[in-house]
Amino acid sequence: MLAAVMAAGQNRQEYHFTVGHHANLSVINHYGPISVRSTPGKQVIVNVVLSSDKVEVDHSQSGNRVDILSHLLAGADEQSGRVDYEVLVPPDTSVTLHSTTGPLRAEKLNGDLTVESSTANIEIRDISAAHVHIRTLNGPVALTNIRDGHVEITSISGDVTMNAVNGPLVQVNSASGKILYDGDFGAGGEYLLTSHTGDIEATAPAYASIDVTARSVQGKVENDFPLQPKHTPFVVKAGSAFAGTVGKAASSVKLLSFSGRIHLKKR
Amino acid sequence: MTCAEFEEVLPEIIEGDRTAEQETHLRNCFACQGLVSDLEFISHQAKLLQSCDEPSPRVWNTLEVALRQQGLIRPAEGQPTAGSFTLLRKPGWLMVPALAMALIAFGIMRYQGGVKTQPNAGSSPETAMSADLHRGDGPIASTDQQLLEVLSVNAPSRRAAYEAYLRKVNAYVQDAESSAHSDPNDEEAQQYLMAAYEQKAMVYEMALDRSLP
Repeated sequence: MLAAVMAAGQNRQEYHFTVGHHANLSVINHYGPISVRSTPGKQVIVNVVLSSDKVEVDHSQSGNRVDILSHLLAGADEQSGRVDYEVLVPPDTSVTLHSTTGPLRAEKLNGDLTVESSTANIEIRDISAAHVHIRTLNGPVALTNIRDGHVEITSISGDVTMNAVNGPLVQVNSASGKILYDGDFGAGGEYLLTSHTGDIEATAPAYASIDVTARSVQGKVENDFPLQPKHTPFVVKAGSAFAGTVGKAASSVKLLSFSGRIHLKKR
Repeated sequence: MTCAEFEEVLPEIIEGDRTAEQETHLRNCFACQGLVSDLEFISHQAKLLQSCDEPSPRVWNTLEVALRQQGLIRPAEGQPTAGSFTLLRKPGWLMVPALAMALIAFGIMRYQGGVKTQPNAGSSPETAMSADLHRGDGPIASTDQQLLEVLSVNAPSRRAAYEAYLRKVNAYVQDAESSAHSDPNDEEAQQYLMAAYEQKAMVYEMALDRSLP
């Protein structure tokens, strides 16, 4: 069931969509923020603020799939085409967000999350047991408290910051953006942090249990952990690479860069 | 013939091609006799080396240090030092100085061929940010040029930013390909190459998606 309510005196709109388990929501918004939070119940609730009459919101529902699109009209620009979205969804909803400017925020979800942006700030927090896919050209990405996640981030220039992120797979691919990880690398996961020129800094507690490989072709590599040596198929050149295990080596951690500086720090 | 002239043709002499003049000098010059003898021995031993006899990494590192001290390896300022995945690990190390100089020359050519872009600032957020992206000086391929032409028509305000992104990822791809080709058995180098291609694919997808009317 769909209901549209026009708030008097404001260019606000609100949409309600009744969905079943594991619904799919897609929001495409060229200019403006999108914020997604979970809420109990079986409804997707979309609150919209339009900045002008040069933009309208197109919406559709097909079964369990809801599509929301900011439709720019003739003459729209970044200011007049801006739409602010606040969205409430059942926690198991799979969410896809596209925006040029953002910011984009999602929290307290356990459905799959796909976020794509050119320059938007992306903030994701409190996600559990879900796939998180993020693609950004130049916007900074911040992930906080992602548990049991399957995380894949690709960034050209945006810095990627991860705080308490763990799961079976955490993969970050950056060209020139920095990669900052602060966490314990969980137990039994695979962590691959790769950059071309961006620095990689990983901070972990002394009790971390990791099998770590770090290599930088041209950059400097530093390590604060006492490592148990392990056999490697490549030459471990001091200052450019290190490899070894800490504790029971539960998780695999690879820190690879072409010319970025790599530092594995002990908290 | 002087010793200096003799040393200039040393590679041919090692391979066995000697003129009468060179033979005469070799018979009469004790110093050049010793030099030829040593080099012939090293060349012969290098051919006998099997992969299981490959010297330990410490030996290669020591050789590299010695060659640098003698000035036979002299990386250009700010250029790749012919990195970590493979170097000095193949038999026939006599070719190492030549390979090192070739690699340095390649690095200089790549550096000189790179184009530093300063995209014009435009009204869109992407073009405003593109001024920060000029570091990342890979080339623009013909397919990239086609993509940029599409953008020029459908989303002209984004063209400059995407050109900067393409140069950045192309530099990434170039470096990753170089590393992977230098040692095809290096798993991390292959992973690194896949990551670079993934970045390139992402730029294309996002550019074409955004340019749709």
